[in-house]
Amino acid sequence: MFEAPVQKLIDELARLPGVGRKSAQRLAFHILQIEEVDARRLADAIIEMRETVRLCSRCFNITDEEECSICRDLRRDPSGICVVERAQDIVVVERTQEFKGRYHVLGGAISPIEGIGPDQLRIRQLVARIDAEGVTEVIAATNPNVEGDTTALYIARILKPLGVKVTRLASGLPVGGDLDYADEITLGRALAGRQEL
Amino acid sequence: MRLLWLELGYFRAYRSLHFEPGAGVNVLIGDNGTGKTSILEGIGYLASLRSFRNAPDASLVADGSDEAIVRGEFTAAERSSLVEIAIPAQGRRSVLLDGKRPKGRAEIAERVALVAFLPDDLDLVKRGPAYRRGYLDEAAVQVWPVAASEFGEYDRVVRQRNALLRREGHNADVTTLDVLDEKLSSLGSVVLARRLAVVALLEPVVAELYGELSERPGRVEWRYQAAGLGEPDRESSADSLRTLLGDALAGARAGDLDRRITTVGPHRDEVVMLIDDRDVRTRASQGEQRSIALGLRVAAYRVLLDRRGTPPVLLLDDVFSELDPGRGERLVGQLPQGQVFVTSAREEEVPLVGDRWTVSTDGVRAA
Ligand SMILES: [Zn+2]
Repeated sequence: MFEAPVQKLIDELARLPGVGRKSAQRLAFHILQIEEVDARRLADAIIEMRETVRLCSRCFNITDEEECSICRDLRRDPSGICVVERAQDIVVVERTQEFKGRYHVLGGAISPIEGIGPDQLRIRQLVARIDAEGVTEVIAATNPNVEGDTTALYIARILKPLGVKVTRLASGLPVGGDLDYADEITLGRALAGRQEL
Repeated sequence: MRLLWLELGYFRAYRSLHFEPGAGVNVLIGDNGTGKTSILEGIGYLASLRSFRNAPDASLVADGSDEAIVRGEFTAAERSSLVEIAIPAQGRRSVLLDGKRPKGRAEIAERVALVAFLPDDLDLVKRGPAYRRGYLDEAAVQVWPVAASEFGEYDRVVRQRNALLRREGHNADVTTLDVLDEKLSSLGSVVLARRLAVVALLEPVVAELYGELSERPGRVEWRYQAAGLGEPDRESSADSLRTLLGDALAGARAGDLDRRITTVGPHRDEVVMLIDDRDVRTRASQGEQRSIALGLRVAAYRVLLDRRGTPPVLLLDDVFSELDPGRGERLVGQLPQGQVFVTSAREEEVPLVGDRWTVSTDGVRAA
């Protein structure tokens, strides 16, 4: 155990994904040693991000306005929506330059183990967009693992009766991992070779 | 297949151990509690990424340390494989193969082949179906390394379905259950096809070995009983099994909702082993059971040898103390030898010639 303020920071850091006890300690002691102005800049950046950044009212991407830059871009094809689990996956798909439509961020994948069902995801909001935006194809770019596949199948079952073509990225992505494990060439190929569910 | 060296750090009773075994038979002699089994357990961990004693990872870390390290280098057909594993007392272990993160167990299984004979091997025939499923799956992964991820994904979807049933019972969302069933039948059919294929590989070998390992001949036969499907044809394609599983899951849905558990699928299957039509588990003598248990391990060894063209690393953990001398020698006669690690408390009971090592809690030295 360390002095209470140090321990408090270690505890907070250790709650971040991918940060174990040891790394949290290392980070905390690093922050203790840097100049106070640098530490303050880090703290301010966290607060500023949280205060100014919000979620796009249409696709739930990260934005600092009502709608994100992709949703506002009139050159994007409104008939196609690429569904991803997390906002950072949009960047990964954008890098492939293969997709010209818009996105929809679900906020996760169906995982009863973690208590996440369809109602905990933004599936209702996705369904509402189909008619409103004249969507004809939905690409399920959820992670290539059991939860991502299950979510893709779920979306297909919900949207097919609405006359929407639901496709899934072609296999070939590293199985079991996250979408961002794939390089852009592999992901681009998976997008181009997507198959109807 | 050969282990060039092994290093253990804060693993079980060892603070630090470096061991360079011989290329042939290595007999590790030591009193009980000196850690000779831990050395074999470390070697086994490098190959299968788990403890062959089914010990949870955290229990492998030496008291007072926060991380155990297992490192070793294997070589086969002039290709070397460096496997390095860090097992923290809390959290996830990390594995490196030649300095890089492998894509999964499959990548290790492609490079390292190993078969272990354990003092508890009688459990394979005497105890519940999970023991036999574990044996078949372990063999399947070594024969077809890609099966490791198939089994992992199947296991995941079963746990998801069970979680849904447990949490929601009859309130479970029907569409979610439908898609989990679809996923479960497609992954389950792949697992089931692997099981049937590995049964087809192993059963005739065990049947042939049985006569050699036991005093009396007997007709050995396996029956693969798939939960909800009966005895599927061993030649079944994954596609036809998928349809069968899908139908069986649909049929079991109402009962599964009541019981809040998934009752259909290869995670519930059993392979019944028979000698002259008698169930080995319930209607065979201890001697017959032991002969079958040995046969299971020898068969895995033979099949791997046949597939890879080079003998797997062989671990014999305190196996001879349980065998009468005749059976011990018959066993050794069935194992075309590559590199072997044998542990024993008593040197004279090991019917094998090779390098002798004395094991103490300080380490290993040539005897
Ligand atoms: Zn947007």
